[in-house]
Order: sequence, then structure tokens, then C-alpha cells
Amino acid sequence: MRHTLTVLAIVAAAAWAIPVQGAQVLHMYTALDTAETQLYIPEFEKDTGIKVEWVRLSSGEVLARLRAEAKNPQVSVWYGGPSQDHIAGKKAGISTPYKPPLDWTLPANAHDVDWHWVGYYFGAIGFGSNADFLKKAGVPAPTSWDDLLKPAYKGQIAIAFPYTSGTSYTVLATLVQMMGEDKAFEYWKKLHANIHHYDKSGSAPVTQAGLGEVGIAVSFSHDLIAKGSAKGYPIAMTFPREGTGYEIGGISLIKGGPEPELAKKFVDWALSVRAQNLMQQWFRIPLNPKAEVAKGAVRADQVKLINFDAVKAGDDRDRLIKRWRSEIGQ
Amino acid sequence: MSNAVRLENLRKVFEGRGGSSRVVAVDDVSLEVKDGSLVTLLGPSGCGKTTVLRMIAGFEAPTEGDVFIGDERITALPANKRRTSMVFQSYGLFPHMTVFNNIGYGLRIRKVPAPELRARVLSMLELVGLAGTEARLPSQLSGGQQQRVALARALITEPRVLLFDEPLSNLDAKLRVQMRLEIRRLQQRLQITSVYVTHDQDEAMTLSDQIVIMHQGRIQQVGSPQEIYSRPRTLFVADFIGKGNFLAGTVRAVDGDRAEVEITQGRLRIPAGGFRPADAVWVLLRPEAIGLAPAGVGRWQGRIAAATYLGSEIFYEVAVGGQNLLVKVGHPQGATPLEAGNPVGVVFDEGSLHLIPREGTA
Amino acid sequence: MNELRKILREPVLAAAIGVIAVSLFLFVIYPLFKVFQMSVVEDGRFTLHVYRDLLDKPFERRPIYNSLILGALVAVAGTAVGYLFAFAIARADVPWKRFFRLIATFPIISPPFVLSLAAILLLGRKGFITRMLFQGQWDPHIYGLRGLVLVETIAFFPTAFLIMLGILQAIDPALEESSLNLGATRWQVFRTVTLPLSVPGLASSLLVLFVESLADFGNPIILSGNFHVLSVQAYLHITGMVDFGGGAALAVILLFPTLAAFLLQKYWVSRKSYVTVTGKPSPARLSVDPFTRRLLFVLCLGVTGLILLLYGTVIFGSFVTLWGANYTLTIKHYASVFHIGGRYLRDTLILASVATPITGILGMVIAFLVVRKQFVGKGLMDLTSMLTFAVPGTVVGIGYILAFNERPLLLTGTAAIIVLLFIFRNVPVGIRAGVAALQQIDPAIEEAATNLGAGSARTFVTITLPLITPAFFSGLAYGFVRCMTAISAVIFVVSGRWNLITIAILGLVENADMSQAAAFSMVLIAIVLLVLGLIQVGVGRVATSQMGYEAAG
Repeated sequence: MRHTLTVLAIVAAAAWAIPVQGAQVLHMYTALDTAETQLYIPEFEKDTGIKVEWVRLSSGEVLARLRAEAKNPQVSVWYGGPSQDHIAGKKAGISTPYKPPLDWTLPANAHDVDWHWVGYYFGAIGFGSNADFLKKAGVPAPTSWDDLLKPAYKGQIAIAFPYTSGTSYTVLATLVQMMGEDKAFEYWKKLHANIHHYDKSGSAPVTQAGLGEVGIAVSFSHDLIAKGSAKGYPIAMTFPREGTGYEIGGISLIKGGPEPELAKKFVDWALSVRAQNLMQQWFRIPLNPKAEVAKGAVRADQVKLINFDAVKAGDDRDRLIKRWRSEIGQ
Repeated sequence: MSNAVRLENLRKVFEGRGGSSRVVAVDDVSLEVKDGSLVTLLGPSGCGKTTVLRMIAGFEAPTEGDVFIGDERITALPANKRRTSMVFQSYGLFPHMTVFNNIGYGLRIRKVPAPELRARVLSMLELVGLAGTEARLPSQLSGGQQQRVALARALITEPRVLLFDEPLSNLDAKLRVQMRLEIRRLQQRLQITSVYVTHDQDEAMTLSDQIVIMHQGRIQQVGSPQEIYSRPRTLFVADFIGKGNFLAGTVRAVDGDRAEVEITQGRLRIPAGGFRPADAVWVLLRPEAIGLAPAGVGRWQGRIAAATYLGSEIFYEVAVGGQNLLVKVGHPQGATPLEAGNPVGVVFDEGSLHLIPREGTA
Repeated sequence: MNELRKILREPVLAAAIGVIAVSLFLFVIYPLFKVFQMSVVEDGRFTLHVYRDLLDKPFERRPIYNSLILGALVAVAGTAVGYLFAFAIARADVPWKRFFRLIATFPIISPPFVLSLAAILLLGRKGFITRMLFQGQWDPHIYGLRGLVLVETIAFFPTAFLIMLGILQAIDPALEESSLNLGATRWQVFRTVTLPLSVPGLASSLLVLFVESLADFGNPIILSGNFHVLSVQAYLHITGMVDFGGGAALAVILLFPTLAAFLLQKYWVSRKSYVTVTGKPSPARLSVDPFTRRLLFVLCLGVTGLILLLYGTVIFGSFVTLWGANYTLTIKHYASVFHIGGRYLRDTLILASVATPITGILGMVIAFLVVRKQFVGKGLMDLTSMLTFAVPGTVVGIGYILAFNERPLLLTGTAAIIVLLFIFRNVPVGIRAGVAALQQIDPAIEEAATNLGAGSARTFVTITLPLITPAFFSGLAYGFVRCMTAISAVIFVVSGRWNLITIAILGLVENADMSQAAAFSMVLIAIVLLVLGLIQVGVGRVATSQMGYEAAG
């Protein structure tokens, strides 16, 4: 009994002691999948000797949490998630500017004018259909936004909540920019009838479509490949012919974050050729021109893109989500 | 129709988990309880008496043997069809029902019409002296009152046989004495065949027409209280009922109705009771059958080894020939007890002695 | 006044009461107060407009109905299944009693959402049963009310089972025998005696299960589909919409029926009980007829089969290469438990092993104070310490992030906040174990020690503690299980530095990484079983050494 207590006391002491040892620790929230984060972070740790402690959240959740913690920031970096969420973050005042030194030019739409966030990859919204479902239902894969409204897809579509997921908010903003706000909401109301359920994470629908729990997932192309066909699921990827929205994946430095210098090192690293090459494993399109693109990954010139205004999307985020909640009622 | 209970070669074996342990709880018990009489099953705990009772009630199925009420064989009849009523040690009153509903329970089960039910419950309450308590819950009654409700509930269905499972063991000593007289009074008045289980010999003595002494699942002796006390057939019975001095001896000769028995202290002439020469026997001397006399007087001489003063009587241990005899003396007013070490004489009447077979020396 | 003076004469006792009172206020009352405050105060002024806004919108109102309906259905179904098992084991003498008992308590130690995971693997559109038995022609529609009723019934019926088993075993067998003896059939015995005597237990069980279902977070977040429930909505409001006011208000709305049920149970139903559960089961002497026994046996077997099927599917799923596409067996998911999940596992174990003993000791001390000592505010201490048991984890979690995000109580991001949450969430378990144990100990033993000159603290350490050690360890065991499987409250306070395995599994399930999640869950269950086993051995040794002591004495 006494012996047990002693052991427990030692464990307890050790537990409190662990955070103290090793000064070089970077704290971050990442909007990438856990599995994907595991591809990059250990490499960064290896390259720099900086240890990273991270939490994976959907990007809407990251934003929410950063806002909640604004008085007392817990992390220094927000890693991943579409730029419009980072833009909304800038608007909420949670980020701080940093311009990384680059020997190449980042396109204007791939960084904040004031460098509150920087982009590091590109990805387009697409549809992933379960091939077995299509065969059984005898319907073709959807190739336009209107196709998604077909009665044949009733209860077969999965997408995330626009407020938790950057992916899903990108879809909402795309529709608003393509159709105009009122038309876009009318469209989504019709779409809602075909939606089986909403997820928290933007890439979750992909696996669900892969499993066959739903017929069609609306998500980013790299997630459709990385979590779908590349894993072995029978996922057929299509894009709407009217044009589709896209994301520039971003990184923000957090205002008042505990490790600003380490955070800058992370941004520099994320834009390096080495880090950008790592993204082949997840089929993301790197922004660094010297980096290689994975075979099968969807580049910007391979699909019809709309002229997506991420800044407007970011600025309108709160308002559009509020309207979405009250009209769709989710 | 006779309501006599007859048990024929009852045997009950409890099998442990996976047959690992087998306990023979009741072994070859045959017994007849006469119509309208009260028979007590008496014995130490674990002797099988409760199991016999539960087989009569139908809560346990006999492994072998049969149970009859009158001429009807009820061995396979379910408990609720037997028309036996049991009064439980814990009373078994339904805590969620009033006294009225507790007593009326059996009638309600039999679908007795409400007015008749009411009348019968009230008159039963009267009978057990609890009129006016019908609206109370059992938890609002004293132990003695609860006991009466249990009795009333058992009686109201007019059972063929009344069964008692140590019904008085949860009451205090005074109440116990009072209740056992009451039970006896009711039983005799209603003439219900009754089987009563107890481990309390006083209770058995005062209540019973017949006492059945049980030990290790077997019946040791059946008889009236007087028979059991004065003519026990085994050492166990003699020892279990009352106190006794047991002197090992051997029958040397039989002369008419008397046997000459040799014990350490000498030879005694004792009513023979069927014993023959060379039989090994115990000589039973009840403490109250022995008297003390001044030293030098009496059959044997001894010394007081210890004295226990109990108010109305004194128990002495008297050392006689290397053995201590227990002697009970009615305590005369004002006399001082004899002190340890005092020499005394021991007197008794040989005719009041009783012989019991001694095993192991046949 | 007199009491106060008596306590002041014992500084250790006074200090203990003081520290516990302050801690309970800080870590139980204050967070709840913050939740309430957040929902009604805006810009420093009292307002009800958050509630008005919420209740105005049908889509915000619906989760309230949904939660209540789900809670009611689960309460009824879970109580029915629990009663079935309890009756079959305590009264019907069915075969395989030990086995059924084991199965009926197993879901307690498994993480909450494992059953949802299993339900999807079995009954999802691509589930095993859906495809094999119905060739995909029939969709069981498990995403939503149906699925939730199924998994929550299985997850929570053990509580009903344990409550009802206690009640049934405490019913004096003589009552049922009396009834039979008075001419009732076995069915009449059940209807007029057994069932009415079970009613307070059934009511208790209904209320407890209702509360458990309302508070459940792990299952609905996975399986609710578009059937939104309060706990998940409150979470989404806060983590997804930064709507602290709305989240807090939903939490308060969730709190009301829960607290009502809890208080009803504690102060009304428990008083109506006819039987005293002493923990000393009276052997059932009366059984049922062979047909009923067979029927009960078959029913228990059916439920058991379902439970085994659910857990079995998770085991199978954890070895499948890619669920839904490639059913080749592999152990790669287990390898990744230690690769990806290593740090979660380590953190969870460290936090749980810090929190568990503190919880156990605190529980024992509070139990001792409440049972044995007289002091001002004792009733309040009792109620407060039990409160965290009734308050849904979601509400507590929200309270913690609201209460401990600012100086001087800045705790977010630390291990301390998780440990504190574990301690105060689980301390009622320790208290219950302690109270039950203490009530079995004759106060005269402690009085003897005091009589010989020992003070309160010394009496507690030298006399009381050794006597309640077995209860202490079973409290520890259950507290540990609850730490390892917690999710609803801690999901709000985990950080990058301190993360938990349950949260990681939840993320995997959300991402539909079924096999990975299954492997994680199995490892978690294995660890819990291992630790329970160790504690069991420990308790066994303590009990044996006590027996040895008694024999020597």
C-alpha cells in the first residue's frame, strides 16, 4: 500500500516535470488530418531539432479555439486550412504578420496583403463517388453542381458543416460567388434533401464514400485521392463543369503566441522544397515551383476554376455561416 | 377428509456447482403427523429440519420419497396448489401492502368477493388481537404484531396444513414465551395439522403433541415431550434435550425388568429397557434426579468442585470417583451454597436412571 | 456553535474540511456558475436574449426534444434489458449465470463510442449484416435515433442491471415464498410481489439511464447523423461557431432535466425503497418454471450474442486492411497504435495514474467526513461532491474552459486542468465506495481508537483506512476506467501538450478510419482490463494479508 503510493507519487512528479525539460517546443493547431500531420511534423523535428506539440482540429474549430484563447494564446502556429478561414482569422485579430524570405514568388492570391497568413499549397473542390454505388444505382458520377440535386442521389451525399470545416465553407463560398447569395442558399436547401448527414471534418466524407456508407463525398481533390483511391477505395473523382472553388492552404502565426521565433522557422520550412515535396504523399499541389507534383494530383490547369475571391469569402464568413445555420437549420 | 401429513422415505441431496460437492440434507425420513396435531421438528441448525418443512410446502422437490396430505400424494404438486401455509422466520410480510392487504392476499388470489374478503380479514384480525391496525404498513408494527399478522395471513386461507419455520426466533425472550402459548391456543382451537420447526427445546416442549428430533438429516427419535426427555433413545437426543450426566458402563446381568450395570463408581440396578448382558451402555443421570447429602450419607461420596448460583436453583459440580457429576439443587430460601472442596454424599433413585446404547463397543 | 468549537480543537480535521470545501467550490460550483453566467450576462448586463434566440429557432429547439426522446427511450429499453438480466440471474437460476454477469458489466469498461463504431461496421449501409444478410436491399438507418437507442441501450444497461440486481438480491426470498404458499401462481408472485418491490429500483434505474443518455457525447457525435442532440450541439456551438453564449445556454438547458432527474432519484425515489440493499445477497431459493427459465435464458443469450457480435466486429475490424474495400487481415493498425498513438497512450496513462489515486484518497476522506463527522455544511458537501456525477460532461467541460482561462486561475493547456477534471468528475465514485465501506464498519472500532488517545487524522489513517482498503481499491479501479474512457468533458480541455487516446479515437472514427479506430479501441480496452486485473490482484493480496492478520490475532 505504502509502496504503491510512493510509486504513484513518483509518476505524478514525473508527469509535472515533463513539460519543463527541452526548451525548444513549438505548439500548434493543425487543420490537417492526424495521419497527414504525421507525415510532416516528424520531418520538421528531424530537420530543425525543434519539438512540436500539436492538436488536430477542423479549421473552423481551430479558428473558434484561437478566438476563445485570444487573451491567452496556447499555440504559436495555425497550420493548414483554406485561406478564407485564415482571412477570417486575421479579421478576428488572432494572427500576426510574417513575411518569409523566399527566392521565388508566391502568387498574390497565395498570401495576405499584410502577410498575416501565407499559402503553401493548392487544392480544388471535387466530387468523389463510390463506384459500386454508381454501378448499382445505375447513375453516372455527378459532373455539375446541378447533378448533385438529382433524386437518384437522395440521402447519398456527405459533406461537412461549413462552420467546422474549411472544406465545406469553401463550397459554400464558391456557390455564393458563382450563383449570388440568395440563389446559392436556395440551391443548398435543395441539396440538403440529398444530404445523408454532415460531418465535422471536411475530409471525413471521403472515407465514408469509400466505405459505401454514402454514395458521394464533396471534398478537396487531394483528400479525395489521398483518403480515397490512393488508399484502395473505389472512389471516382469528378469536377463540376460550371467551374469549382478551390483553396490555398494557409499558415498563420498567432498573435501573442508563446514561441514566435520557432513559428517563423516552421513557416520557412513549410515553404521549402523539401517540405513541399513531402506533400506528394497527400496529393496536394505545392506552391513552390521547384517542388514536384505527385502523379495523379489535380493541378489548377486541369480543372475549370471559378474566379474565387478568398478575401471576400473570408470577410463574409461569419455572416454567411449565420445565414446558413438559420436557413438550413443544422 | 383427513389432513394428516405423511412423509415416506424422504431424501434430499443438494448438488454443488458442477457436482463438486454433494450434501445429503435429508436422509430417509418417514413420519406421520396426525390430523389436527402439532409436531415439532427439533434439532441443531443444519440437521435438515427446515428442508423437510420446505419439501412439505413444495419449495423443494425431494430427491427420493413422497409427501402425502391425507391420502393425496402431493410430491409433484406445485407449492401454490398444496394449500399449506407457512409462517416464516422473517415473517415474510409484503412491505408494500397494508396489514389488510397482507392478510387478504391469499383470499384475493382465490378471487374471494370483496365483501366476504373484508369480513374474513377483519374477523381474523380480531382473532389475533390486532383489530384496528388494518391500514398500517408492516414497518409500522412491532415485531410481535408482525408475527401475528403473519399468522393471520397463514390462517385465513384455511390451509390443510400450517407450517412454522422458526417463527419466534426474531422476538425477545418474554414475547417468545407469550407468542408460543398463543400459537398453541390457536392451533388447538382451530385443530389445524401443524408442523413446527425450531431449534429451541423449550419451545418444542411447550408446544408439541409430538417432537421429532433430527440430526444430520436423519430422524433420531419421535415421541411426546415426556418420552423424549425421560426416555431418550440415543446419546444425541439425551444430550440435546436438557442436561445430563453420562456414565459409561456395561450390562453385566439382566434380572427381570432391571439390568445390573457396571460403571467406574460401582454397580447399579437400572430399568433394563431391552438391554442384554454385555451391552455397552451410557447411564443417563439427569442433574435434577440427584440429591446431595451430608458427607458419609448416600450412595457415593464426593467433593464439591464448583457451584453456579442461579437464584432459584444451584448447579454443583461434584467430583465422584474421578468424574464430575452435574447436580441441580432447588435452592432453599436463605441457605448458603456449599463451597468448593466440601465433602458431600450423593443420593439418587436407581429407578430414575435410563440406559442408552453406547456405540463403538458392540 | 458547539460543533464548530469541537472541530476547531482538531486542526487536521478543520484543515481537511476547509481544503475540501474550497476545492469543491472552485472545481465543481464555480465552473457551473460560469456556464450559467455566460448564458445570461452580456456586456455586464443580465439578459435572456441568448435563450430567446435559441428557443426561437426550430432547428435549435429540435435537439432539446431529440435528447429528451432519446433519453426516455434508452431509459426504458436499458432498464428492461437490465431487469431481464438481473431477474434471470438473481431469481430464475438460469445456466451460465457468471458468464451473463460478466457480459452484462463489460460495456462499463469499454470506451463509449466503441459501440457506435461497431454499429456502423455491422449495420451501416456497408455494414456486415446489411450486406451479408440483406444484400444491401435494406438500410437499417442506424444514423440517428434508431442507432443511438441501440448503442446507448447496450452501453448503459449495465447500470440498470447492477441497480436491479442489488434490489432483487435484497428482497427476502420468504416474501415470494409466502405468496406462492398462499396460492399465487409463479406469475402472480411476480406481478404482486417481485415487481412491486422492484418498482423503486426500476424508477431509480430509469432516471439514472435517462441522465446517462442525455449526457452521452461519444455515441451521438458519431452516430447521430442528422438527429442532433443537446450535448453535441452545445459542443459544436462552442468549438465550431465560437458561440460561447449559445453553447452555455444549451448546456444549461441540458443541465435542467439532468439535475431534476438526479434530485428526484436522490431525494425521492431512494426514500421510497422497501428493501435495504445491504450488499449481502440473500440466496434465491425460489426459482421459476422450466419454460420461463428457458425463455429468460434465450433472451439473455440473444442480448449477449448481440454484445459479443458488436465487440467481435470491432476486433475483426481492427485486423482488416481497409474496411469496405480490402478485407485482407493485417496487424498494421496495431503497429500504428504505437507509432501514431504512442504519445496519446502515454499522456492518457500518465494523467489517469496521477488523477486516480488522488481521486481515491479524496473520495475516502470526503466519505469519512460525511459518514462519521458532524460539521456545518456537511449536507452541502455531500450534495456538491455528488453533483459532478449528475452534471453532463459537456456542461462541466464548458464550465472548465470558461472558468480557468484567465489569471489567476489560468489552467488551460496544462495537465493540471485535465487532472482536476478527472478528479472532480470521478470523486463521487470514490465517495460511494467509501460510504458503502464505512457503513459496514462498526463506529465502535473507531471510537475505541479515539478512546485510546488517537486524534481524527490518526484514527482515519491507522484504523479506518486499512479497513476500507478493498473499497478504496475498487473505487480506484472504477475511477481509472472512467479516466481512460472519458471524453465528453475532457474534449474541451485537451491541448497539444496533453492529449488523450479517446479524443484520438474519436478523430479516427469521425474520419471513418474504422480499422485504425478499432485497433486503438482494442488496445485501450486491453490496457483497462490489464490495470483492473492488477488492482484485483492487489486487492486480493490486501484481503489475504488482512485475513492472515486476523488468523494470527
